[in-house]
Amino acid sequence: MKKMTAAEKNAAIWAWAFITPTMLGLIVLNFYPIFDTVWQSLCKTGDFGRGNTFVGLANYATVLKQAETWQSLWNTIKYALIEVPFGVVIALVLAVFLNKKLAGTSIYRTIFFLPMVCAPAAVAMVWRWLYNQQFGLLNNIFHVKVGWINDPKIAWISIGIIGVWSIIGYNMVLFISGLQEIPHDYYEAADIDGATGIRQFFYITIPLLSPTTFFIVQTRLIGALTVFDLMFMVMDKTNQALKQVQSVVYLFYQYAFTNGNRGYGATLVMVLLVFILVVTFIMQKAEKKLVFYN
Amino acid sequence: MNTRKFLALVMSLIMAASLVACGGGGGGTSGGGESADNNAGGGGGSSAGLQVAIWDNNQLAGLKEIADAWSAESGVPVTINVITWDSYWTLLSSGASGGTMPDVFWMHSNTAQMYMENDLLLNLDEYIANDDSISLDNYYPGIVSLYSSNGSQYALPKDHDTIALLYNQALFDKYGVEAPTDDWSWDNVYEAAKAITEAGSADNVYGFAMNTSNNQDGWYNFVYDYGAQVITDDHKGTTIGSDEGKAGMEMLRKILTVSAPQPVVAETGTDSLFMSNLCAMITQGSWMINAFYTADGHDNYKWALLPYGDANGNGMCDPGERQSSYNGLGWAASAATSNPDAAYSLISYFCNEAGQVKQAELGVTMAAIPGISDAFSEAFPGMDVSAFNRIEEEGMLFFRPYTRNTTVWEDKIQQDAFLAAWLNPADEATMAMACDNAQAIIDAAIAAE
Repeated sequence: MKKMTAAEKNAAIWAWAFITPTMLGLIVLNFYPIFDTVWQSLCKTGDFGRGNTFVGLANYATVLKQAETWQSLWNTIKYALIEVPFGVVIALVLAVFLNKKLAGTSIYRTIFFLPMVCAPAAVAMVWRWLYNQQFGLLNNIFHVKVGWINDPKIAWISIGIIGVWSIIGYNMVLFISGLQEIPHDYYEAADIDGATGIRQFFYITIPLLSPTTFFIVQTRLIGALTVFDLMFMVMDKTNQALKQVQSVVYLFYQYAFTNGNRGYGATLVMVLLVFILVVTFIMQKAEKKLVFYN
Repeated sequence: MNTRKFLALVMSLIMAASLVACGGGGGGTSGGGESADNNAGGGGGSSAGLQVAIWDNNQLAGLKEIADAWSAESGVPVTINVITWDSYWTLLSSGASGGTMPDVFWMHSNTAQMYMENDLLLNLDEYIANDDSISLDNYYPGIVSLYSSNGSQYALPKDHDTIALLYNQALFDKYGVEAPTDDWSWDNVYEAAKAITEAGSADNVYGFAMNTSNNQDGWYNFVYDYGAQVITDDHKGTTIGSDEGKAGMEMLRKILTVSAPQPVVAETGTDSLFMSNLCAMITQGSWMINAFYTADGHDNYKWALLPYGDANGNGMCDPGERQSSYNGLGWAASAATSNPDAAYSLISYFCNEAGQVKQAELGVTMAAIPGISDAFSEAFPGMDVSAFNRIEEEGMLFFRPYTRNTTVWEDKIQQDAFLAAWLNPADEATMAMACDNAQAIIDAAIAAE
């Protein structure tokens, strides 16, 4: 290896000095908990994290045998299948409109972004009352008796709608910043060639926006697969539809915190982690085919 | 129709507003954790202050008054943080793992055993021996033994609670049904609920409401009225699947056929239904009195003696047929508190006879010492709450069922056993099967403890 000059050494020392706080934070707050979770998933954990005994893969055998694990994983996927596509498409359309120089765009941007700055618990509570079967605003406006959040067949859709509503603003802001990076020349050239707005959208905007879209889909997919607060806040634990809606993280919370069975909870999270890793791997492969970087 | 729309809107707004209030409480909590850390660093001392955690907002005002009186004597400031029931246990168990528990806090039968066995609570034996104002013989024995482990006392009894029947006089008058009396059995409740639910169907009014989660304040009492036990006296089993247990739940099943349907109860909540004048009767515990006393329609709210289960069918209340569960919280201190003397001094102040009488007078809860809760009946001018005291003379009390890790089976029988029966109350077999399932769930959970 080549010997470093004094200046290079100096630079290296400073570089390390600057990244040390971040590294420390990562190690303490991320890396250590990850390895601790892996370890706990191999243990029968004692009360309050004391007296763990190593049991090998016993927790995994139980978790993978339980029907509720697979049901909750399927529930989580169903939630992601609503939140991600709709959250992305609606946000993209809104972003295209709000990227134009029209009167009042900033007001609309604010309105669409508002759900992001509301406390999730407050959002969930208001939706809970909107959805209430007997006294809710929705059913009373439309004079129907739909059990929005207690009919097992549709409760997952109702929860997904809240998810979409909450995330649109965030996705939209990212899309707007992506749109502003597309050089205006393309659109001028397309105008001269006589392309309609719709064709411009499909042949210029979508391909050139694909890096942003990919980023949003990737992060939102992970976000949706780790959803917890919506189910927790909107659905009472005696709700008959809960089993058809509860996510993996909800199940984790139930076991790890309510029942105090950390080892079993850690195992559930590890299963979810593996699933997310697989999804991310597929996404990375797809990136090469679908995303257009200029 | 318009009034219903308006009601829906108002409910949404109220929920939003109350959440803002809750958020403020949460902020206070995290601040509390920080100052507790400071105490540890400063090595204690009289100015350090005590962090107290409780879960019931209804009791905050009264307890604060007592704590302030103690602060005036001792010079140690006290901060009481209210954390909702679910978060309370998450916070406490995380604090137990991480070593940052509040100084003084409530213990509950669900988890006390686990906290005591892991030496997380301050051993109070020596303090009690040196304290003239405390004698363990004075308290309800069930509560004292709940908070002792291996012969040592880890918490002092804070209170006791009982259950009564709450009804809305205005709804009984409106539908021409006679109001509950002390002689009512659950069969009378069935008749009245049936009459009101049928007459009120056009207005969405129900005669009765109970969810699977209303256990201590609800269906547990049915099981004991008919001679079964949710958890046996040795805390090692259950007889809920016995014929007696099934008979009790069968009585309840009959009432459920004329009550608010489970989906309504799960979404809206029994208390909200009652306070919205949409339900004529619920069962509730004495710890909830203040919530109903301060509600808008409280003039119409009346408490009756908890009805009895006519197990032998002779039309009168025989011994053992009227049972109310009782539970007692305990005041405990963290084993790691930086100021154990002050912590015990505060606990003793709350739990000695003077503190218990004051607690009853202020209407916080009934005392953990038998016979001194009369003042509690007078604490709510305009509302007769003597039903909670009278049940001790006219019925029997059984201690809230608990095992080492109660939450595991308690949640599971609500969701996996009885939910099906609640959803389909018309079918007798479903309820009987639910009792069998509950028996299996509890046996399995105890075996795993």
